[in-house]
Amino acid sequence: MLHTRIIDIKNDKISIAKAEKFISSSKFGASIFFTGTVRDVNENKKVTAITYDTHDVLVIKSFEDIYKETDEKLQIKDKAVFIEHTKGYLSLGDISILIAVACKHRDQAYVLSRYIIEEVKKRSPIWKKEHYEDQTTEWLKGKSIIDEKL
Amino acid sequence: MKIKLELFGASREFSNKDHLEFKIDEKIEIKDFRKELINYLEINFKGNKNFIKIVESSAFCSENNNIINDNYKITKDQKIGIIPPIGGG
Repeated sequence: MLHTRIIDIKNDKISIAKAEKFISSSKFGASIFFTGTVRDVNENKKVTAITYDTHDVLVIKSFEDIYKETDEKLQIKDKAVFIEHTKGYLSLGDISILIAVACKHRDQAYVLSRYIIEEVKKRSPIWKKEHYEDQTTEWLKGKSIIDEKL
Repeated sequence: MKIKLELFGASREFSNKDHLEFKIDEKIEIKDFRKELINYLEINFKGNKNFIKIVESSAFCSENNNIINDNYKITKDQKIGIIPPIGGG
């Protein structure tokens, strides 16, 4: 069971309550909520905000692919996964990503949650522009996906 | 033939709009389109090295939202996207 969505911060925001409702089931004994939030320092620079940019269709496709491959790679077939990512201008402390997972057992839930966030970082077409205290901005260097299939 | 290039991430600095438009005379492969884009940057941004590096390390995606390789040939008016190195989440 999978829910995915890109949230445009101008219109909406990520809701942990919504995720809780989605993954909640008496079938599962363990659930984990992971949130990524905007931090105030990066590489010794004082960050005031981050603008997130996304290729919406490819991001959703990557979330679906990551979810599907956990059946075989992690051998976790019975699961509920909720992934939302925000796009637009986020202030310090705002949630950029929420990954909520529910599985039968806690060891599966920890592994699944960690796997999803690491793969999203590697494969999902999401970009960050940091805004600094001195009013400058910078797109963060990322990982090239030339020759890789999403 | 008209190619509309949708900009994402760092490549958004290439224009005030969210895309660039190129008029190309003949069918063109992505590897040659990449050169066209670098040529545009040479002219409009005095060969900004950071911008050129972005293009050299970017992938491209088709109108159908598939990642396309350097040999992919654009044969008609099409919208494609540039996918600079990624690192969100």
